[in-house]
Amino acid sequence: MKVTLDIWRQDGPDAEGYFETHVMEDVEPELSLLEMLDQLNDEIVEAGGEPIVFESDCREGVCGCCGFLVNGKPHGPLANTPACRQHLRSFPEVTHFTIEPFRSAAFPVIRDLAIDRAALDELVEAAGHVNVMTGTAPDADTVPQDHLTAEQAMDYAICIGCGACVAACPNGAAMLFAGAKLAHLAKMPQGKQERSRRARKMVSMLDENFGPCSLYGECAVSCPAGISLTAIATVNKERWRSVLRGRHSRET
Amino acid sequence: MSVIEKARGQGDTVVRPKLNQHPSNVTLKLIMAATGTIFVLFVFVHMVGNLKLFLGAEDYNAYAAFLRTFLFPFLPYEGLLWVMRLALGVSLILHVWAGLTIHARGRKARGKFSRKGMKKKAWFAKYMVVEGVLLFVFIIVHLLDLTIGRGVASSEFEEATYEMVGNQMVVHAHAYENLVASFSRPWMAAFYTLLMVVVALHIGQGGWNAINDFGGTGPRLRKIWLIAFLLIALIIMVCNGALPMLVLFGVIS
Repeated sequence: MKVTLDIWRQDGPDAEGYFETHVMEDVEPELSLLEMLDQLNDEIVEAGGEPIVFESDCREGVCGCCGFLVNGKPHGPLANTPACRQHLRSFPEVTHFTIEPFRSAAFPVIRDLAIDRAALDELVEAAGHVNVMTGTAPDADTVPQDHLTAEQAMDYAICIGCGACVAACPNGAAMLFAGAKLAHLAKMPQGKQERSRRARKMVSMLDENFGPCSLYGECAVSCPAGISLTAIATVNKERWRSVLRGRHSRET
Repeated sequence: MSVIEKARGQGDTVVRPKLNQHPSNVTLKLIMAATGTIFVLFVFVHMVGNLKLFLGAEDYNAYAAFLRTFLFPFLPYEGLLWVMRLALGVSLILHVWAGLTIHARGRKARGKFSRKGMKKKAWFAKYMVVEGVLLFVFIIVHLLDLTIGRGVASSEFEEATYEMVGNQMVVHAHAYENLVASFSRPWMAAFYTLLMVVVALHIGQGGWNAINDFGGTGPRLRKIWLIAFLLIALIIMVCNGALPMLVLFGVIS
């Protein structure tokens, strides 16, 4: 199939960006969006040009490296699917692609489609982790956690940290990402101990780097891991719970 | 680094602006949810009061008098109304301030490339600010029209008065006549009815926002809350929206 691509080129963080148009005459519908860019890069290199810079690693939807805006939508036309798993055969009607990096003030462009997602790392560094001595692995059933709670924690733990939720948000918010961390760790026996401290620190880091939530609901549509919109309510719930519950759990 | 390389912007350091938003967005959203819920409850009770129109002028004006003499002599004339005006006024200031702040912060945090290709459902959230501005205009028009009686009010507007008979307070309210006079003007009736659609849109999306801002995570709670607010929005739109039309076409006169 023949496709037309308008691709964002930007030589460096401070350089002016611009769209570069490429027409690919013969693209296999079986290719994913990333493989289409691979083929395009081969053609560009053969012609003596600079290849398009984009990030990717596992190409099976678990690493969270890839991602860009395709016709304005994070990762591509399909909902809840990472760019590496979006194959041209799935949307044969789309033959014109406008490809840009994830757009958010929190995600500055490094080059072309590659962005700096350190703002998400800062959120995790702030408190999105477990920071207690867990000792050696406990014997089975010594730490009681029922099956349903474990499954619910897993539903939020599957966030791959790609940043599509931030790019999807017209407000540049990272509530879905932060909510996934809070919901996941609050349900685990190891994470529970720092529950209030975590909520405080993550929300104050959200206020430093990201915008507010207006509940457009776009993040949950774009999320390749299918994190539910309930994660947003979790951020608010955990933060207010820390106010009501928290003197003894405040950081010393 | 060569001059050419530098000119192409490679090797530059990535700079990310810090937003440092205070008070927290979580706080602002909670303020919006709390004040918004107060408004919804008020508008619903207000609507129930409006339905007394169907009982006729006497009952309607008696209700207006009741609101002015409520808990007399513990509260002065219009005591309840002034308590409500104060509470709603403070809520309005907080709601508008938080809303505009959130909107401005959102634009800044997104950066210079606005979001395109959103699903249609996102329009409800997108137009909340526009609806808010319209509702603000509506509140001013409504107060001028039927409370203060200046500017856009009908020429027949008459303010409620009271006199003391012994230790009883007798109120002469003209709420029914004022309302009929106002809604007999087609453009005003149309304005009220159209704005009730905006009210419904704002309450529908606002209710969904509120349960998330209050931190409601239970699936059943979220579903019931959403359905309840959508129902309230629908009831307010139909009941309040129909009244001006019924007056305009002479069903109520």
